[in-house]
Amino acid sequence: MIPAFFSPETPGRSNMDVDNDPFHRLVASPRMSQADIELSRNRISVFLSTHTAYELLPDSGKVIALDVNLPVKQAFHILYEQGIPVAPLWDFSNGQFVGVLSALDFVLILRELGNHGSNLTEEELETHTISAWKEGKLHLNGQIDGNGQLIPRRLIHAGPYDSLRDVALKLLQNKISTLPVVHSSSQDGSFQQLLHLASLSGILKCICRNFRHSSSSLPILQQPICSIPMGTWVPKIGESSGQPFAMLRPNASLSAALSLLVQAEVSSIPIVDDNDSLVDMYCRSDITALAKDRAYAQIRLDEMSIHQAVQLGQDGASPYGFFNGQRCQMCLRSDPLHKVMERLAVPGVRRLVIVEAGSKRVEGIISVSDVFKFLLS
Amino acid sequence: MNNQYGEAQDEATVVGFEVPRSPDASYNNVYPGNEDEGREPPMVPPHLQHTLLNCPSRDPSGSLPLPQNVILNHLYIENREGPRSVVALGTTHRFRSKCVTVMLYKPVQRRGNSST
Repeated sequence: MIPAFFSPETPGRSNMDVDNDPFHRLVASPRMSQADIELSRNRISVFLSTHTAYELLPDSGKVIALDVNLPVKQAFHILYEQGIPVAPLWDFSNGQFVGVLSALDFVLILRELGNHGSNLTEEELETHTISAWKEGKLHLNGQIDGNGQLIPRRLIHAGPYDSLRDVALKLLQNKISTLPVVHSSSQDGSFQQLLHLASLSGILKCICRNFRHSSSSLPILQQPICSIPMGTWVPKIGESSGQPFAMLRPNASLSAALSLLVQAEVSSIPIVDDNDSLVDMYCRSDITALAKDRAYAQIRLDEMSIHQAVQLGQDGASPYGFFNGQRCQMCLRSDPLHKVMERLAVPGVRRLVIVEAGSKRVEGIISVSDVFKFLLS
Repeated sequence: MNNQYGEAQDEATVVGFEVPRSPDASYNNVYPGNEDEGREPPMVPPHLQHTLLNCPSRDPSGSLPLPQNVILNHLYIENREGPRSVVALGTTHRFRSKCVTVMLYKPVQRRGNSST
């Protein structure tokens, strides 16, 4: 693979939400040899193949699961109160985990309510169970396969003795962010014991921990990320990726944000001001903040702006306070790969926004799945 | 035990060591009365208070302190006053050398209503 080339042209900027601004200057970067890339990939592949999902478990961890017959409404309250974005679903009638409930499910439910002006009456919303929702989703659109698995399908999970490589591939291939690690003490897979929720961040953490003190064995770690074909960048003249870079203004409606999340199949959208400088992020997992004070029953998706939606979860914190907190992690295009990987290895940080130093203009996004797609390809 | 099949089995027996039948009088014990049921159940051992389920997990990765061995494999139920529609169950168990605290939220069946 060849590092991306940058055009030095500077045409005028458009004012559309999807930005087409090319880079303004040529970036000089040491060229990475194909041999270096292959060597690094092989070393990481060997590491991941020889370590198991058991290593992802903390010494004393906590996992929260939900009964599949819980009303959806209460399930989201629980996700919000416990601060978790996803929970495995347990079916008492057959003694098995049958799927997961995630922020994507909530996004889809809200969109469905918004679209049809609530097919469900208020009372039905109170009692609509997770299992009914999952079945309905099956009939509605079998194509969508975000974070939630459909009940008749097998639960996507891993065992504690599966290799990290298999777990990473499973996450990437199914385009999910988390999967349950379940141990079954009997041959037929019954008596499931829930151990952990595995994510790419956790696997990345294992990689960083292992290679931290021998970074010379992975030459690509020292490379600036702009020289590595990884992540999504604001389109430049000369690149024909064709994929629009999703960004929104703070006054964009929540329904536009949710539609964009679903259609672009991304888990977060940078919120930018008129200069395309980053002001905040709207993440799919922020949707559970709507469970607070039953906000989702009272709002209309097209009347609430994403700025307001973000404020809901902030408890009145200043809109610019997020820079200090975990909400929106940024990096520069000159940052070396190892630094970016260390930051992505923190659980809960799934992506970094690449910004221009000083102006904070958005240049791209690099997510933990981008890193793995590059490392495992 | 009434070993009615004993004679059908072809076991070698040693003279003088045959198993005697239980005397019929030993089957005449009285059923226990109700006085036992009036008493309070024994107190929960105090060390079970140290469940990890009451720990707020500050760490976003969901890590908890290491549990004491004595609280492992006990099932806890959330103690909340008043009628509720959801109850939380929790337990801490060990898998090899790692401990996992699992919480399960379950709907409560209302008595008299059809189940939701």
